[in-house]
Amino acid sequence: MTTSNPTLAIPGQLLGSTSKYQPGPGTHIHNHNVHASLMGTVHIAQPAKAPGPVKRLTKITPAPAPAELPTISVAVPTRSAGPDHASQKKREVLPEVGNVVLCRVIRITPRQAVVAILVCGDTVLDAEWQGLIRVQDVRATEKDRVKIYESFRPGDIVRAEVISLGDQANYYLSTARNELGVILATSEAGNAMHPVSWKEYRDSETGLTELRKVAKPY
Amino acid sequence: MTTTERPIVLPGDTIPPHLIPSSTTKPLRLGPGLRHVPPSDIVPVVAGQLITNHQKNSMWVEYNNNRYLPTPGDLIIAQITRSGPDFYYCLLSPYTPHATLPHLSFESATKKTRPQLLPGSLVYARVILANKHMDPEIECVSQSTGKSDGLGELKGGMVFDVSLQFARRLLMSRSREEGKVEVLELLGEEGLAFEIAVGRNGKIWVGGEDVKVVVAVGRALRETDEAGLGVEEQRRLVRRLVKGMK
Repeated sequence: MTTSNPTLAIPGQLLGSTSKYQPGPGTHIHNHNVHASLMGTVHIAQPAKAPGPVKRLTKITPAPAPAELPTISVAVPTRSAGPDHASQKKREVLPEVGNVVLCRVIRITPRQAVVAILVCGDTVLDAEWQGLIRVQDVRATEKDRVKIYESFRPGDIVRAEVISLGDQANYYLSTARNELGVILATSEAGNAMHPVSWKEYRDSETGLTELRKVAKPY
Repeated sequence: MTTTERPIVLPGDTIPPHLIPSSTTKPLRLGPGLRHVPPSDIVPVVAGQLITNHQKNSMWVEYNNNRYLPTPGDLIIAQITRSGPDFYYCLLSPYTPHATLPHLSFESATKKTRPQLLPGSLVYARVILANKHMDPEIECVSQSTGKSDGLGELKGGMVFDVSLQFARRLLMSRSREEGKVEVLELLGEEGLAFEIAVGRNGKIWVGGEDVKVVVAVGRALRETDEAGLGVEEQRRLVRRLVKGMK
């Protein structure tokens, strides 16, 4: 009895056996069966054509190699792409160690600045991930004399580098390079500011300066 | 006339230009209660008396409000509520975020010889960090010199609540002339032995061996503040209290 392949899958749904399919994104293996992990549409990708069988007299040919099995995957349909299955390979972008990210400062305490990571590399993230910039990661020099209030303020946009994936709640970020730091800041009076040195921003209207850890413009 | 020199201003009032001190050499300094709206407006933001000092070319508003806002450099009396890993958490005024006081921020304190303060004890401290984004931080030792200068734990005694303006008048360097408050000097002249610590957050600690003396001093301060007594009335109050003690 052949069961027709389901076109829609819900998490946990049995898709097929591992002897027939290779698991792709959105699926997992349980008891030698491929189950769906996401709710979405099922796609089967045929493998690249294997080279023709070589006739050997004495060799016992094994079962088809895993690379020759079709790959079954589940993709969540995106709103923008219509029923076009070929473009539904978009995966969620996550910050990795070493990525340069743009983030907004949410809260400052004397020991760290809590930020929300908005942009990773060139991609604007769908969800905001929380990050921490610890006081010893703000600068490369004189780490023990850093004052968070003179480096960041809530609302600043900061370019930072991910140094660790951290724990459940936070990524750990660092601004300890010349080109990392605050790139956009608003003054106490509410006006836009322009940078004047590595540690000062000046309000364009009132002329007052405020201290920040300024990123070197490219 | 003295009243026109020190007018009562309300928030948003325009200040008559003849009151603004103009000096070509020194820049005009604005104190608390005034805000500069570019290009050339000076606007009061609180209700109070406008004071100008022509020598220093500065102006500010003397006002009395009930909410203490920490400012760096202020001397305050804080009460310890609990102890954390590196800090004591203290309250400067009720229903406000805690201020942090580092464990080692006392004179000649090391990890082994630091004072162990229990929750509920009082300290006389100085505010070092206060802004609208972070909880305030206080210290009991001067960062640069390492000396406490009278800061530290206040043992015994009793704390009295007064208005913020009264505490400011007591802390003035010339409290007799400028602040018009000499009740403390008068009590001392009568021979009472007591110690005083004035906190800018509206709290005055009175310490002494005799409980009657402490209570009398506290009552004198409270009545001077609440009734707004002038110098002559303060004299009479002190005489009455000392007579009642005998």
